[in-house]
Amino acid sequence: MALTLALRYLLGRRLRTGLTTLAIAIGVMVLFGTGIYIPTMLEAFQRNLRATAGQVDVTITHRTGAAFTARRTEKFLRIAGVRALAGSIERTLNLPPEFYGRDVRVGALLLLGVDPAAAAALRDYRLVSGRFLQAADGSAAVIAQSLADALQLKVDGMLPVPTPAGVVKLRVVGVLAGRALAGNEQVFLPLRLAQKLFDMPDRITVIEANLVENDDVQRAAALQAIEAQLGKELQLGALGAGSEFMAAMQTSQIAFYLIGFLALLMGGFIIFNTFRTIVAERRRDIGMLRTIGASRRAIIGLLLAESLLQGVIGTSAGLALGYGLGRAITTGGAGILRQYLNLEMGALVIEPGLLATTITLGVGVSLLSGLLPAWGASRLTPLAALRPAALAPQQVGRTGTLLGATLIAASLLMLLSGRFALLALGGLLFFIGLVLASPALVQPVAAAFSVLVAQLFAREGTGELARGNLTRHPGRAAITASATMVGLAIVVGAGGLIFSLNESMLVLFRKSMGSDFLLVPPSIAVWKGDVGASEALANKIRAVPGVAALSTLRYAQTSMPARAGSGLPDIAVSLLGIDPAAYFSVSSMDFNAGTAELAAAALARNERNLIINGILAAQTGLQSGDTVALSTPEGQQDYRVVAVGGDVLSAKITTAYVSQALLRQDFHKREDIFYQVNLTATADAAAAGRWLAKITGEYPQFRLVVGREYLAEFSKQFDAVFAGTYLLLALLSLPSLIAILNTLAIGVIERTREIGMLRAIGATRRQMSRTIVAEALLLAALGTALGILAGLYLGYVMVAGISASGIFRMQYTFPLAGVLAAAAAGLLFGVLAALVPMRQAARMQIIAALRYE
Amino acid sequence: MPATVVIQAQDLSRVHGTGDTAITALDGVNLSVAQGEFVAVMGPSGCGKSTLLHLLGGLDAPSRGSVLFEGQPVHKLSDDAITQLRRRKIGYIFQFFNLIPVLTAVENAALPLVLDGIAPAVARSKAAALLERVGLGGRLKSRPDQLSAGQQQRVAIARALVAEPALVLADEPTGNLDTQASQEIAALLQQMARDWGRSVLMVTHDARVAAHADRVVFLRDGRIAQETVLERNAADNQALLAGLITAAA
Ligand SMILES: Nc1ncnc2c1ncn2[C@@H]1O[C@H](COP(=O)(O)OP(=O)(O)OP(=O)(O)O)[C@@H](O)[C@H]1O
Ligand SMILES: [Mg+2]
Repeated sequence: MALTLALRYLLGRRLRTGLTTLAIAIGVMVLFGTGIYIPTMLEAFQRNLRATAGQVDVTITHRTGAAFTARRTEKFLRIAGVRALAGSIERTLNLPPEFYGRDVRVGALLLLGVDPAAAAALRDYRLVSGRFLQAADGSAAVIAQSLADALQLKVDGMLPVPTPAGVVKLRVVGVLAGRALAGNEQVFLPLRLAQKLFDMPDRITVIEANLVENDDVQRAAALQAIEAQLGKELQLGALGAGSEFMAAMQTSQIAFYLIGFLALLMGGFIIFNTFRTIVAERRRDIGMLRTIGASRRAIIGLLLAESLLQGVIGTSAGLALGYGLGRAITTGGAGILRQYLNLEMGALVIEPGLLATTITLGVGVSLLSGLLPAWGASRLTPLAALRPAALAPQQVGRTGTLLGATLIAASLLMLLSGRFALLALGGLLFFIGLVLASPALVQPVAAAFSVLVAQLFAREGTGELARGNLTRHPGRAAITASATMVGLAIVVGAGGLIFSLNESMLVLFRKSMGSDFLLVPPSIAVWKGDVGASEALANKIRAVPGVAALSTLRYAQTSMPARAGSGLPDIAVSLLGIDPAAYFSVSSMDFNAGTAELAAAALARNERNLIINGILAAQTGLQSGDTVALSTPEGQQDYRVVAVGGDVLSAKITTAYVSQALLRQDFHKREDIFYQVNLTATADAAAAGRWLAKITGEYPQFRLVVGREYLAEFSKQFDAVFAGTYLLLALLSLPSLIAILNTLAIGVIERTREIGMLRAIGATRRQMSRTIVAEALLLAALGTALGILAGLYLGYVMVAGISASGIFRMQYTFPLAGVLAAAAAGLLFGVLAALVPMRQAARMQIIAALRYE
Repeated sequence: MPATVVIQAQDLSRVHGTGDTAITALDGVNLSVAQGEFVAVMGPSGCGKSTLLHLLGGLDAPSRGSVLFEGQPVHKLSDDAITQLRRRKIGYIFQFFNLIPVLTAVENAALPLVLDGIAPAVARSKAAALLERVGLGGRLKSRPDQLSAGQQQRVAIARALVAEPALVLADEPTGNLDTQASQEIAALLQQMARDWGRSVLMVTHDARVAAHADRVVFLRDGRIAQETVLERNAADNQALLAGLITAAA
């Protein structure tokens, strides 16, 4: 019964129903669409780096994923119940684009250096042709069918592989059945060869073991014995790959969720507004229903059934739209991810949790927004409801205004504090304050703007009418304006953040990447899969005529304990090895604590000193002078923090910098993964470039780029990302359009008789249209003014907050373009939103309108 | 009467709907109202009184026949021209006053002038003068919700007169008022015609209100059933009308 009635009522006002439902749909769309994107990206990322677990009973790795000495296998070998056990090397190799030719889409190889004798006991290798590796093999490899197909290789064919010593050709001795996941092609080669190629003498990255079969007791005992032998550094199971990058992405995820939730909140505002009007419109119906015996609960039920219906339809539509949005972002972002992170996006990942959350929120917000008006309706006594509604204009609540003003004042004080937590709280308070105070602002703002509107529509009385119409319902006007405000505030606020971030990033990028030439691996910042080069390459570069300085980065993975007492797991840390003298002559860091000179000097000393970057400092609470334990292949070592600072590439990744000497001593890493070259002032750049191109030709894992061009490319890509983000944000301002439209349409419906009367006493269609446009412009102006104000505050708070947190220091840049765009969008929205109600008002049949109750 | 004809209906008909469901609301009505004349339209519910008023005021278009306003066929004009005619030459009074709740009495009364592009200050002073004439001089700044029903209708009358129209159309102007207020409004409409020279066409169910008119037209099933010219004294007319109404029913 309630549902039938609800459906009839909703269908009776198709336009309004459609618009309100659309508002919810947009919120759900943003929530769902962005919720799809990041997991999809993470999935691609994990797939790229995932070690091939499975098939074996036990996998043992180092906590940090680092290589460790092969001697560690010995104690496990002696355990009873271990049937087969061997150490091997697993290493992902990022391949430069088109490494195997134009049409071959192989983004990375998973190199598996295995002991030919033990391998067969561990895994069942199903060969399609050829044979498996043998102890006597030199440069041999066994590849999967899919790779063989992609490269058109057969047994005895040669497979080129980039290594620190240049490209090495491996003879294919066998082809395995099956197909690897895209971007994760397996290549098996003898362990000894892998150790040699990657400069890891007597080291392994993983121990695999199979236990005795058919004896559960002995298997359990064996497992226990293995665990007892693990020690501090080793762990059971494969490593969660790239956890530092994952953490960074999860932060973005939270930001996206927040935005989606805000969008949904706007939808809630709009539904709330609509239901308030519905209740006002149906006073008589409700009174009648109560008179003939409907209970309070029945009234609530009736209205809730309507909001539920809208919530369900809006959410379903939103899910469908969100899927499209997720697709669009994934496709749009694929190019950049491929270029900088060597990622191939796969199928969209839709987490069940996301689906559940989105549906709950979409339907929940709709229901909640209907609840308050429904409750109000149920409180109407039958008698009061049957009497005509008071014609007196709505009064503005004084308490709300005062509270709002207080909150705004408090938030402004917090702005001065410069503390992250207070800034964040202040941002929230400012918003709530504006929403509370906005009803009181309707009158003055409407008065101010109606002067302008009067100029536009000279002396027809329409401006005054419009103003009167708005001030009649300051509460409703304020809610509409609030919805507009939230929408535009997000645009302006995010604009402030994005502009500031962009500016600051570019400045930093110029500082860090300002060298004349760069050698860039396929994936920057997330270094794990990159293949570096041995010192031979660096030496060759130094010998090029005109080269004044060379700085390289080396990479190792490690982890450090989280903030003491926080109970959090270890933090994965990218450890970058620099040559202190060379690094600071070619590149630079942005220091939060300490100076480049002191840091360089400290790193140059023969001590365990390191520089940590802002995000790492923020996560661990570490400061200059503190001591921290890092996991090394040989166990934990204590290091001293000498400065807090970082380069632009690692801004989002928890990173620490040590000297290359220390990296070699503690982590056995000697590969250079990134090069920056500066020329002398008098050098012939073109000639030097040709020289460098010739030298690096032997190392196709690197791309030689001119610093200036790289900067231009980077800033172009950056702009593209920002434009995309901006577009997404613009989507969010759409519900505010609907909010205005909705309020206007409701106003027209409510005033049907009034419009009939005005037409009867001689108002032209055009005058009616103009009244509606003027009203829309006033509403939009109010919302836009508030939105820009709130947005500027929000942007400033975000920039100041991020700077204060130490993650990334940036300068606030006034988002002039954002403000102008918001103002233009606001006015445009006003006019657009007026179109439909305007037609409605102008087309109204006078007699029918006069009859309207 | 030798006075000039302000509005004239010729064979005026209005059919709602088509085919089997067609309803003839008005069927070949011929009627004219002279300048300064006060005509009352009476008849049972559904006989087509409102329809007649709508057609005369250009709110609705006839199915057949025509309306001449000061000799000019109204329905040959464009929508905008008809609207302008309403704004400048015709005043409307409704049963449910239809005042704008957020505007004051004087602002409401000034509306037609404001819509005509006359400066608000000028419009307001004219409206104030008219409110004075209808006895609301002291309540210029009151909003509709602060006025009694009779006072609200006076504001509506002031609004109808503010543009100095030739014709005032009133559809059951006393339908929502008590006896006392009805009599006052009826007297005001009478004054409007006799003293201020407006033509007034009023629909009413109330014989005591109709008694103030110069002439009463009885409608029945969309046709004019009877026309009676009344005496100048309202009190004398009441008994006459009571008899006529009983006869007509
Ligand atoms: N839009 C319409 N569609 C169909 N029929 C209509 C429409 N408007 C009026 N009618 C019919 O036309 C006839 C005349 O209606 P009208 O409103 O003119 O009557 P009335 O004399 O004013 O009645 P009352 O005294 O009750 O106000 C009625 O039968 C009515 O049902
Ligand atoms: Mg009627």
